[in-house]
Amino acid sequence: MSESQTAGMFSGRESEGLVLVVDDESDVRKVVRMTLEKSGYDVVEAEDGEKAIEEIKKGENSILLNLIITDIRMPNMNGIDVINYYKKEWPSVPIIVLTGFPDVEMSTTMLQHGVSDYLVKPVESEKLRASVAKALEQREVRGF
Amino acid sequence: MSNQDRTTVVILGAGKGGTALLELFTRLPGVEIAGIADQDASAPALQHASQLGIPITQDLVSLISLQGINLIVNVTGDPHLDLLVAAHKHPETEVLGGSASKVLWDFVQHASQIQSQLFQTEKLAGMGTFASGIAHDINNPLYILLAFAENILEETDDPRIHEQVRSIIEAGKRIQGICQNITRYARATNTDNAIAVEVNEKLDEALNIARYATTLQDLTIVKSFGEHVEVLVNPGELFQVLVNLMTNAIQAMEGKGTLTLSTSCENGVGKISIADTGSGIPTENLEKIFDPFFTTKPLGQGTGLGLHNVKTIIKKYRGELRVESKVGKGTTFSIELPRSPK
Repeated sequence: MSESQTAGMFSGRESEGLVLVVDDESDVRKVVRMTLEKSGYDVVEAEDGEKAIEEIKKGENSILLNLIITDIRMPNMNGIDVINYYKKEWPSVPIIVLTGFPDVEMSTTMLQHGVSDYLVKPVESEKLRASVAKALEQREVRGF
Repeated sequence: MSNQDRTTVVILGAGKGGTALLELFTRLPGVEIAGIADQDASAPALQHASQLGIPITQDLVSLISLQGINLIVNVTGDPHLDLLVAAHKHPETEVLGGSASKVLWDFVQHASQIQSQLFQTEKLAGMGTFASGIAHDINNPLYILLAFAENILEETDDPRIHEQVRSIIEAGKRIQGICQNITRYARATNTDNAIAVEVNEKLDEALNIARYATTLQDLTIVKSFGEHVEVLVNPGELFQVLVNLMTNAIQAMEGKGTLTLSTSCENGVGKISIADTGSGIPTENLEKIFDPFFTTKPLGQGTGLGLHNVKTIIKKYRGELRVESKVGKGTTFSIELPRSPK
């Protein structure tokens, strides 16, 4: 399966939602994908923000995108710029940060900027799933 | 720079004062050192000066009577020498001696002390950045390892595989714990806001780091914690204080003994005490332990800044720091910090 392919999209079963996973390390993307697919989500992977936008637009799935899970350390961008980059493209799609940096100040800033959750690697599968479910639930409540 | 702008100086005395001035003057672009003299051929600054190519001599008079000298700095501390200098110097040569040269010397020492303190702070901050960078680089592969292991658990029912995978997860979580401790310590140098901090939690966190102070680990930890003991400090700095005091305590016991950690709260003041059953501090050193650069540890193992920093931090938050010690019995450090601003 290619990294950009959307698994389960056309499998006939009902999807829990489409999640974009952005991390420069392919194995990180792979484990997130595995964890989420088991709970019925469809996953699109990309190694950085730019490629993520490309991938989503290519698949004409832009309107279907339900959630972004992203690292905040990218080759060309860092921290809050990454969040703003997505917000500009998809203002109403919730974002979960998944990072190796346990930085209290950064997490506070991120949450103030509307990030749904700030998860520090290594995160337990159950915690990741719970965070994803919560982000999507809040999104529905807000009526996006 | 023209010759007229330069000040030609000779230094009399090559002990501590001479050494300090030699270091200062060689760094000043407007100063040229014409020579340094001391009657004692083994005086430390003489050797240093000769390495720098600065003329050295034991014959003070020859140096004093040199032509073209703007300033003679006498740091010998010998009052008779002032008369000798007055008798032999050229009329246009100025003299800095007695208490004036002493003040200059004190100033030079003070400046160099501040510089090394600054260096130490920068080094700590640098280590902080370094440590959190390492933690980040470990967290990524650790996540891959733990998440795949969890996935295997979910995908198989074989109890033998379950058992092995659980061991992998346990080991991974231990690495995760070590990483968390490192980043917590690293963070200590990075922020400066005072907030209400739960002391008991910080003591536990600090103990996790201080445990690494010795390789021998035969410690009995006694905790006597009051309920909800809060103080108003920067959490990182309090953490640094506690790690420092506990590390000292564990090192004083050489890893073997009882470490008693107590907390309580009285009249809006949070109290913390850290007691060890180690070697103790001799009475003559008790007053000096908070001085900067005072250390009894072997060269290269202590900066002598630990307790000085501890005291500075506690004072910053209007707290009190006390020490009681008995040689051969142990040492107790007590901290009192206010719970609210005022």
